[in-house]
Amino acid sequence: MKDTPLSNCERDFLLKAIEEKKRLDGRQTYDYRNIKLRFGADYGCCIVDLGKTRVMAQVSCELVTPKESRPNEGILFFNLELSPMASPAFELGRSSELLVKLNRQLERCLRNSHCIDTESLCVVSGEKVWQIRVDVHMLNHDGNLMDATSIAAIAALSHFKRPDVGVQGDQVTVYSPEERNPIALSIYHMPICVSLSFFQQGTYLLVDPCEREERVMDGLLMITMNKHREICSIQSSGGIMLLKEQAMTEITDLIMRALENDKKTRKEGGKCGFAEYMPLARITVNTTDDTSVDMTGPVVVISDSEDEEDVVILHPETL
Amino acid sequence: MESCLKGRVGEVLLPGDVFRLARTETTISLSDPEPDPLRTQKVVCGPGLRRDGDHVVVSCKSGVLKHKQPNMYWVDSQQRRYVPAKGESVIGIITAKSGDVFKVDVGGSEQASLSYLAFEGATKRNRPNVQVGDLVYAQLIIANKDMEPELVCIDSSGRANGMGVFGAGGLLFKVSLGLVRRLLTPQNEIVKGLEKLFPCELVLGMNGRVWVRAATVQKTLIVANLLESSENMTAQQRPILFKRVADGNLQIKKEGGRERDMESE
Amino acid sequence: MEVCSAVDVKCIKSNSTLREFGCEQSLLSRPDGSASFIQGDTSVMAAVYGPAEVKVSKEIYDRATLEVVIQAKVGLPSVKERSQEQCVRETCEASLLMLLHPRSSLTLILQVLHDHGSLLACFLNAACMALMDAGLPMSCLFCGVTCAIASDGQITMDPTAVQEKESRAVLTFAIDSTEQKVMMSSTKGSFSVQELHECIALSQKASENIFKFYRVSVQRRYSKTL
Repeated sequence: MKDTPLSNCERDFLLKAIEEKKRLDGRQTYDYRNIKLRFGADYGCCIVDLGKTRVMAQVSCELVTPKESRPNEGILFFNLELSPMASPAFELGRSSELLVKLNRQLERCLRNSHCIDTESLCVVSGEKVWQIRVDVHMLNHDGNLMDATSIAAIAALSHFKRPDVGVQGDQVTVYSPEERNPIALSIYHMPICVSLSFFQQGTYLLVDPCEREERVMDGLLMITMNKHREICSIQSSGGIMLLKEQAMTEITDLIMRALENDKKTRKEGGKCGFAEYMPLARITVNTTDDTSVDMTGPVVVISDSEDEEDVVILHPETL
Repeated sequence: MESCLKGRVGEVLLPGDVFRLARTETTISLSDPEPDPLRTQKVVCGPGLRRDGDHVVVSCKSGVLKHKQPNMYWVDSQQRRYVPAKGESVIGIITAKSGDVFKVDVGGSEQASLSYLAFEGATKRNRPNVQVGDLVYAQLIIANKDMEPELVCIDSSGRANGMGVFGAGGLLFKVSLGLVRRLLTPQNEIVKGLEKLFPCELVLGMNGRVWVRAATVQKTLIVANLLESSENMTAQQRPILFKRVADGNLQIKKEGGRERDMESE
Repeated sequence: MEVCSAVDVKCIKSNSTLREFGCEQSLLSRPDGSASFIQGDTSVMAAVYGPAEVKVSKEIYDRATLEVVIQAKVGLPSVKERSQEQCVRETCEASLLMLLHPRSSLTLILQVLHDHGSLLACFLNAACMALMDAGLPMSCLFCGVTCAIASDGQITMDPTAVQEKESRAVLTFAIDSTEQKVMMSSTKGSFSVQELHECIALSQKASENIFKFYRVSVQRRYSKTL
């Protein structure tokens, strides 16, 4: 499916508006859109809303043999999927330039920054280590997929708890969550990607471009940083620019707050999971509680057999 | 059937809801001087209603049942995807020039074709100045499910009548089809409210595309955001928002966020 | 087939409670129609695009081409997803009016958000709500109901993942709204014909609840007078 083409008039208007420092939704040049974080019922699942862009990350783990070159370290595996749900231009199974770019950036952001202690994932040196797998699905593409992905991935990793293991000699026992409490991953810091888009050969730049701004931009600069203002990686396709990174602290605080809330709810035994996040005040949302099925009235089930008079009648009071 | 349809005007219908016509007599009495009004009723099914057999009308979309005198019924649904229909005026984007014909994207399942001779004053020597990526306001003359849609930029007498290439300096954005239909009703509240705010040019395409141009970029953005938010605002909330904008509150930075919150309530 | 005129079924044990439902419509801005459906803890998101352009290799001259894509949370798509896609596709093709949009494509994408039992039924319900939200013409609505038969014959409706694992058989039916007929069935495990009939009967009764829920949701959606 093709996406709607961008008309000349839209392009000219967007560029003119950017020259006057005006954005389509009224933001300033360094403003982020509203970010919302929700966690799922099982550990390691997180959905992030960045304005209208929506991304889901799921973390899972399994025991595997480690790499020969690093027998003491666990393995981190990232898998990004551009779901056809996110945009009509994304096709399933087709590996596009955008997908490769996002995958590489996510790996650089999380693996090369060494934010996760991989040595703690080792169970039996040289034989069994944990492989942590992060799957990210795009649900709605309204610009700036990379930032939303990095937030979702790091939030899901912080939320994830792996099963506890016991080693006795040669035997490795993996305890289920009911037997022993699962253990969280040890994360040193939270690297988050900030995207800056350039227009008119680097003269103007915008933080967190939305989908239409992305279509008219000249280049993109992705900087991965953490709360302590350490730069983890820079990836640019375009000119170079000076930058403002105040947004960093706010985003990290937001993630920590969301994690705290979720931990509190789980401890109190409250219900967790996506069902709890439904905004009930909206008219597009409807929920009901457990309903019982009304068994009054006879039910006639016609069974398909050679003689067509077979009819099975189930009496309601016996159901 | 008319009575049972009439009784449910204003109700929400789901696909599969059936209206059965009561069995009427098949013979007409010739000695009866006045035809029985109940027997000669005719019901016109608009979008969303289909005839299924002789005496049954089924709704195929979810929405509110609406009625227009004398006997027209249709289902008003909130939809975003455009399906081309003959006679509608749409905003298209030129995607390709192939020989004598332009290919135009109108948002449907197929691209429409627009002949270069279908502009006012165009001849084989005097070709219209149309580039790929331009916006055109045109009318569909052929649009059914079996054929490729065709557009023209002139009416039956050869005059442009407002159609043709346009667009410099304005902003194009997409809204739902229902909102465009509401904006096109004569004397509707939204356009009247906009008129009082500041002068602007508005082009509405039935395919959900709206083009706006006002005196400055800021005012254009304000009008565009107001139209997008009025999709979900009731008649009570709208004047409040318009008043806030008119009171010189041209800063829609945080308002932009709040407008979207209002959308969801 | 057994010949039976009336069945004395006094000993059917069944747990006829459906878990709590929730749905949200039009939650994504890009797709033409979207919906999320929650049954207890199982949560699914559906998105629909269409009628849109179709590749020449896939176009059908007199009807629309429906494509269903199911995305699991972890890992690459496997045979299980493909067979679920087939079930959902058969149901949708039976209820959509495909003849109204020849040579165009309808794409339905389903994403698992959390799987805690009755997944296929949740897919069907989310798909139906998303198709309604997109305004695609349908001849009837459909819904999905899952039943699990335990080893002692007790039938549980809308089972959780734990109940599904401990049961002898799991059956999922797609029921249509006009005549409560079974449009699609997908079963796993062994069961008798009698138990099949009982499950179908229970599902038909349960589908009334689900259709009522659809109606209330859509009425709520159109309740604001604009």
